[in-house]
Amino acid sequence: MKNIGKLFALLVVLALIVPTLAVIAQTEGQITLRVIGLEVVPEERETPLAIAKQAARTRFMEAHPNVFIESLESPPEFDTQLLVDLAAGTAPDIWYQDASTAARLVDTGNVVDMNLCLDLVPDLTLDRFVSGMLDMHQRDTGEVWGLPDGGTPMVMFYNPESVARAGLENPTSDWTWDEFLEFTQKMTLDNQGRNRLDPNFDEENVVQWGFRVRKYTFEWIYWVWQNGGDVISPDGTTVDGYLNSPETIEAITFLRDLVLKYGVAPEPSALDQLVQQFGFLTSFLRGEVAMFPRGHWEIVGLTTQEDYEPGRVAVVGNPSKVEDVTVIYESGWFINATVANDPDKLLAACQFVDELTGREYQDTKVVTGLELSANRESAQAAVEASAWPEMEAVFVEEAELGRRNYGSMYANWPVVETALDLMMENILAGGDIDEEVAIAVEEIDRELARASGG
Amino acid sequence: MQNKAFLEQPFFTTGPGWWRRFWTRSNERVGYLFILPSLLHLIAFLLIPLLFSLYLSFTDWRGTNFYNAPFIGLSNYEFMLGDRRWWNAMGNSAYFTALSVPLGMIISLGIALVMNQKLRGVYFFRTLFFMPVISSWVAVSVIWITLLDPQAGMVNYFLKSIGLPTVNWLGDPASAMPSLVMITIWKGAGFNMVIWLAGLQAIPQELYEAAAIDGANARQSFFRLTLPLLTPTTFFMAITGVISSFQVFSSVYVITGGGPRGATDVAVHRIYLRAFESFDMGYASALAWVLFFVIFVFTLLQVWYMRRREEQALF
Repeated sequence: MKNIGKLFALLVVLALIVPTLAVIAQTEGQITLRVIGLEVVPEERETPLAIAKQAARTRFMEAHPNVFIESLESPPEFDTQLLVDLAAGTAPDIWYQDASTAARLVDTGNVVDMNLCLDLVPDLTLDRFVSGMLDMHQRDTGEVWGLPDGGTPMVMFYNPESVARAGLENPTSDWTWDEFLEFTQKMTLDNQGRNRLDPNFDEENVVQWGFRVRKYTFEWIYWVWQNGGDVISPDGTTVDGYLNSPETIEAITFLRDLVLKYGVAPEPSALDQLVQQFGFLTSFLRGEVAMFPRGHWEIVGLTTQEDYEPGRVAVVGNPSKVEDVTVIYESGWFINATVANDPDKLLAACQFVDELTGREYQDTKVVTGLELSANRESAQAAVEASAWPEMEAVFVEEAELGRRNYGSMYANWPVVETALDLMMENILAGGDIDEEVAIAVEEIDRELARASGG
Repeated sequence: MQNKAFLEQPFFTTGPGWWRRFWTRSNERVGYLFILPSLLHLIAFLLIPLLFSLYLSFTDWRGTNFYNAPFIGLSNYEFMLGDRRWWNAMGNSAYFTALSVPLGMIISLGIALVMNQKLRGVYFFRTLFFMPVISSWVAVSVIWITLLDPQAGMVNYFLKSIGLPTVNWLGDPASAMPSLVMITIWKGAGFNMVIWLAGLQAIPQELYEAAAIDGANARQSFFRLTLPLLTPTTFFMAITGVISSFQVFSSVYVITGGGPRGATDVAVHRIYLRAFESFDMGYASALAWVLFFVIFVFTLLQVWYMRRREEQALF
């Protein structure tokens, strides 16, 4: 009886020890990567996007049995939460982030220079990326901060039914500012079908506006570039001499005049009313506003509207003047700088970023239609695979003309952008351009001087 | 007895003399024990963050690498002096306060006077007036955005139906702030009504009866009796009203976002933008402390003014 008791005790001890040892043996050499960017919002579960993300994770873990990808939900107020987590040492190892808000993390050394990964993973090369999107992760000093995943250039959306109503041919990407102006004048119709160039045009009864101009910098900055101007110095320390340069003022004047002089775009209050009454996308699909600048994501927004019909949405490249250029917005994958302290973990993180930026995962971008793949081959292949091949082709073409947005370069850009938005809001409401620009220059330069410790 | 045994434990009976003396003062020690959890909570979640933000206001902390944040002395405060946006926001806050506090007090007093009558269904109406107070600001904001919609909103529909011109309530810089004030008053009137009601019901009925015997009419009773006796309530309402008006944020954030053209960009909204959109934590902390100081000064002035009035009334 005594022996049976001892035997039982031994069995209990073994039952406790053996599984523990097995777990220890199994986790020996196991690497866990905590990743934000693979989960989707609840309403997108079971969508192609969610399936593609999980497939990439599973595929990678199967190919690398010693690596476990712990997929974390993206928190609300992601940028704030990330800063808190970085300060607390609880930030993920890899995260997906809008490159236009990443400059501050780069400046403070919170992300890995991806040159480390290029050395560790020979297959991972920079020539796989669309250059305009890769630019957003590079500085002149040679570092590569994160790698691009997907993005979009700003292009011109137009409603072909509205074009036909005005008796015009669809525009082509080689148009100039003058041609654009004439086009929008002819596209702006009153309730008798007369356009803006008709001396009897009824200003009180506009039923179709040719274009939309808004205060937001991301919708007008590339017009400044097209005119050979800029809003900020290359080193990001001043706007004086740039924002108030003749080229920039001329571009702003052109956009202001579209609203206040030529009357081809609704004034802000009229636009607000249109938006509040139907929602802007509905107004566009109904032909009340015939053209507007936007990115790839709007295809999804438009095609899911009740009023959507295939003949009502098309895109064309932006008109050009001195230079044919647009702006690119993009999101990418970033590796936490602390990962570099553990060589094995760094290798695993680099391999996973290689997986996420490779063809197999990037080819799924075309299924979701939200953005253009940052992988050049995937982006090219998407033109044929897309449900909207003609539009996709325009996006691919324009991406090559895209210039990086300043949010990816200057940590203080949010302050500059806010001031520029307000400046444009005042100008579109009838404020004097020179005065508003002078106020903005003074305000922004004060901010920039403070940020640089001046 | 149990309490005595508890206090005889080594924790209380060993250590320096001041420590042992402290725990032997029987009247105080239990009291301190009772308030200890609350005190710790206040220290951890109010006092320490408060002092931390004061320290931050002297740094240029931008949200990352706190230990490397440069100490810049009074530079944030100096920068604030020339910050056009901040002064615009402070002006808007003052405008909001000047409109919402007196108007809100007058309107809610009017409601309280009616709700203080012996009317049929008065409890139902009191509940009705109080309902906006317990509603979420976000829900209320969405409802008002819909009501004030320039095209499809019911307010403009009503104006149109009686032949009046419509207004772009939230889209026009001239009308946006008054619209916000109107919404704020509507939401807060129920709470103010309850305070006024408490004040009104504390006035002895005999005084009104005596005034009536002396020949006072309703108007005279109100201005000579009710209002003076409501002075402590008025004082409380004015102080809390000014403090909360300077702190207005939710309605601005949800309804106008500070627009149009900065017309509703109030102080707390500006602090929020600085802290959580620009991650300019040091400067945002400085602004928060300046706002605190302004509210503090306003409150002191009000206290001083009210005391002076009370003294004048006494002598």
